[in-house]
Amino acid sequence: MHEYSVVTELVDALLPRLEGHEGEIAAVFLKKGSLRILSDRALVNAFEVVAHGTRLEGATLEIEEIPVRVACRSCTYEGPVEVYEDESLHFAVPVLSCPKCQGEVEIRAGRELMVDRVSIRSAADEGA
Amino acid sequence: MHDVRFQGEDILARQLELADRNFKQLKERSVRAVSVMGAIGSGKTTLIERLIVRGASSGLRVGTIAADSAGDDDHVRFLARNAASVNVNTQDDCHLDAHTVQHALEELPLDDIDWLFIENVGNLICPADFPLGTELEMVVISVTEGDDMVRKHPKIFAQTDLVVINKVDLANAVGVDPNRIVSDYAKVNPHGVALQTDALHERGIDELARALGLECTNTLW
Repeated sequence: MHEYSVVTELVDALLPRLEGHEGEIAAVFLKKGSLRILSDRALVNAFEVVAHGTRLEGATLEIEEIPVRVACRSCTYEGPVEVYEDESLHFAVPVLSCPKCQGEVEIRAGRELMVDRVSIRSAADEGA
Repeated sequence: MHDVRFQGEDILARQLELADRNFKQLKERSVRAVSVMGAIGSGKTTLIERLIVRGASSGLRVGTIAADSAGDDDHVRFLARNAASVNVNTQDDCHLDAHTVQHALEELPLDDIDWLFIENVGNLICPADFPLGTELEMVVISVTEGDDMVRKHPKIFAQTDLVVINKVDLANAVGVDPNRIVSDYAKVNPHGVALQTDALHERGIDELARALGLECTNTLW
């Protein structure tokens, strides 16, 4: 359950950035690399708990997944990877290998965890 | 309603920065560091004990950071093998982080250490998202955890470059085929290295030491 540690970092980083932005925070949009070992459900639950008593209380946490992209160390390939799918796993796993030449790769995307944007409802919205 | 946009800074940026600082500090002091992860009872501590002894026989000085929720059992075992060791209690945290490691490094005589093994809290899943600043990461699993370990945690093994399958002496007793773990691992990580050990009886330690480069006695970086 390291989602709580991650969400605590998120709330701590976010609160000072939102100073000066008046209004009620409606939603936090998160981007999560698909290599991250983080459960969306646990992140949302943890956010509800950690945000309690802060300006983020009541805001929803929306999570969008960033697919894996790699650059091959042997050929010029740069792009997505193949996904290993085994029906019995009920789970698709990105295979960190070059889909063109099977060479070793460098990860270019897929390990991120970042706030994309925060939606704020201001007094002006109420009047509208 | 209006949106405040962010410039793509990682939430764990602080952790990544600290991990990078640890990495640079270790490199400057010519210490090669390995993060050792795995479930409770997989045999991490025994493997590290063997590597301390193996390192010493090659003239290498090994340091350790022993992390557990509570107690100093592993730390005491490392000290008994003459390793420079620091004990870390994470209390309710299920993983180490770069910040904790940074403080542990302050307590270690880094100039007198060639290799550093950081034993994470016994937990397969949570440490995976927290880089510590080590050069290498290895995951230890034991056959007693079942031969479906990779199938149950494919995303972790897809990103792990070195897997040690330990307690292979017990494979028959628990009805597990270690080769199934190896072939499952190859499917999700074709470039990974899987080794089989029986740390208690000191089998497979040479191969592991070689895979880590632990037998190299010249300047390491």
